[in-house]
Amino acid sequence: MQMRKVYNWQLGRNASYVYPQNRPKKQWAMVFDLNKCIACQTCSLACKTTWTSGRGQEYMYWNNVETKPYGGYPTAWDMGILSKLGMQDWDGNKYAGRTLFEAAEKDEKILQHIAAEEDWAHPNIGEDEITGMVGKGDYITMPHKIWMFYLPRTCAHCTYPACLSACPRKAIYKRPEDGIVLVDQSRCRGYRECVRACPYKKPMFNAETRISEKCIGCYPKIEQGLMTQCITNCIGRIRLGGFVNTPDKAVKENPIDYLVHIRKLALPLYPQFGTEPNLFYIPPIHVPTTYLKQMFGPQAENAVKTYLEIRNDMTLKGLLVLFGSMERIISSFRVDGKTAAGFDEKGNEIVKVPVTEPTFIREFYDAKLQAYRHNTP
Amino acid sequence: MIKKLTLYIVLTMMVFGVGQAFAEEVKGTAEKPFVEITSYHKDTDVSKVGINDNLWSGVASYRQPLEKQYLVVPKPVEVGVKELVVQSINDGKYIAFRLVWKDATENSSIKVTGFSDAAAIEFPVKTDPLPQYIMGQTDMPVHILYWRAWRSKDTKDGFQTIDTAYPNLTSDMYTFDYKVKGKGTEKTQEEKDMFIPGKAAVNPRSVPHKQIIEELNAEGPGTLKTKNVENTTGESHWSDGTWTLVIRRPLKVDDAVSAQLVVGKKTPIAFAVWEGERKESAGRKAVSPSWAEVLVQ
Ligand code: SF4
Ligand code: SF4
Ligand code: SF4
Repeated sequence: MQMRKVYNWQLGRNASYVYPQNRPKKQWAMVFDLNKCIACQTCSLACKTTWTSGRGQEYMYWNNVETKPYGGYPTAWDMGILSKLGMQDWDGNKYAGRTLFEAAEKDEKILQHIAAEEDWAHPNIGEDEITGMVGKGDYITMPHKIWMFYLPRTCAHCTYPACLSACPRKAIYKRPEDGIVLVDQSRCRGYRECVRACPYKKPMFNAETRISEKCIGCYPKIEQGLMTQCITNCIGRIRLGGFVNTPDKAVKENPIDYLVHIRKLALPLYPQFGTEPNLFYIPPIHVPTTYLKQMFGPQAENAVKTYLEIRNDMTLKGLLVLFGSMERIISSFRVDGKTAAGFDEKGNEIVKVPVTEPTFIREFYDAKLQAYRHNTP
Repeated sequence: MIKKLTLYIVLTMMVFGVGQAFAEEVKGTAEKPFVEITSYHKDTDVSKVGINDNLWSGVASYRQPLEKQYLVVPKPVEVGVKELVVQSINDGKYIAFRLVWKDATENSSIKVTGFSDAAAIEFPVKTDPLPQYIMGQTDMPVHILYWRAWRSKDTKDGFQTIDTAYPNLTSDMYTFDYKVKGKGTEKTQEEKDMFIPGKAAVNPRSVPHKQIIEELNAEGPGTLKTKNVENTTGESHWSDGTWTLVIRRPLKVDDAVSAQLVVGKKTPIAFAVWEGERKESAGRKAVSPSWAEVLVQ
């Protein structure tokens, strides 16, 4: 079929898409620091209790957290589509391979992996599994020889959504005001072309209502200037939400732009799929580079280097402390001296936190209570 | 002929630059019908004719070939059902169609990754000019009578739910839908449905219906719209690898965008079948190769 050419900054080139380029006025985005996720699943439950507690949504996790490399929800969603796409190359920071739209089979819009019934039945399969046996005498190296990490996932509210492009009746739309991608619950007829097409497998079928649903980006909260449920409830404070610009319009005071474009610390998940996802990850520093490059593209190695230098980098250090420090969306931030502050669109200060928490050392023996103190923070 | 038609459509789309292959752009074509079906007059109440009534054995059957939908991407590589056997009778007021086709698997129970068996009959609302037969065209609507095995089972055994689909599934609690009774736990169905998005939105797919046939209008692929009338009744049965479906409706109805059938006249008609086991749905379907015709005797 005839495809359009759209500019995909994550690939550094024009790429194929079903519709012409049509960027929203603002684009909602999230950054997750994978070095800090503990797989507590508080995010999954925050989303679930808020949005998917109804009949037909029992096994639906708009937010899920899986253990990489083996875990996945639905099972092997990533291996499924990656093996179909096959090995592809990057030419420096420019993608030289084919995207899923470019690799579409004849008479299809996009290359697809279809998850089986049982793939949806094990939301946390492979939890805590490591890549192999730890050998006798093994010691920790960087990156680790044997490793795992947690990958929390939601819909990425892609700039070129596969789900939207696949829907035969335009029941999926991308909001011009914030770029959030929604399935119209009145219009959907349960064809599940979106379920087939989304490489991240984030549209899900509700068998009770016989139509598809997906992460709604907590739009009622975004409309009030608040961050999503999965962000504000994150125990590990690994998440930051905001709005991302294209790299040519990056604003260095904008926390998302700063992490994504200026410092290139936060990277898209599988950019080679070609949907330009707006969910960015700070890669885990202990994981072998080849794996990180496949998952986050050619910039992964530098991102790890940048992360390892954060201790000497007041601005980044300050910004990372702002993660999870406020419920309201900050549109700019500033780090000076010992504090990091976040501001709303009008420049009003919303939050101010110390970059380094003060340390108190207390005596082992508490004379007043006549008790020994435990070594807990 | 069919090759020529396909080529014509493809060329039209190229000229118009229709990236999404929406057939609104495609001009109608007076394709000669492949199958001419006669709806025989019978002195019986056709509105009540049963699926296996004796009278069907004396009614001529027509073989309607089906092929892969070829107009809109995604197009199926292959389809499960390649032929329908069609019979029709009328009593001057009601018309009934009996469709029989081979399908080795019955797909009538809801499942997360399951698809329903389905079939549809389509009429143009107006015949001059005749709309494109795959889903009609802008301002040239078609009237579709759509049957789904899921909906048949809903009507027969009660609306299927997660509990009927997955009897061993447990869930601690649904919001507003408690397992215990007592103060503060009594909620209306409407309040409970608030947490079931399709039901809250009253999506036609998500709520129970009296009839197993859904009536729709379309003005091109992707424009399907459920009508708020249920003038059509039906009955379906699967056994030994065969679906049998009876669809009955009045020849004339009081609705501007419904098909009106006239005794003594021919009306264009088209067919589609979906094989659920093959995950056929939407444009992944088997269709008749063009408009056929039905002569209401
Ligand atoms: S709440 Fe935060 S730390 Fe916990 S699993 Fe989710 S993303 Fe990870
Ligand atoms: S992640 Fe999937 S569901 Fe979400 S916008 Fe992208 S293609 Fe659509
Ligand atoms: S943004 Fe909202 S709807 Fe989406 S996964 Fe997070 S909590 Fe759920």
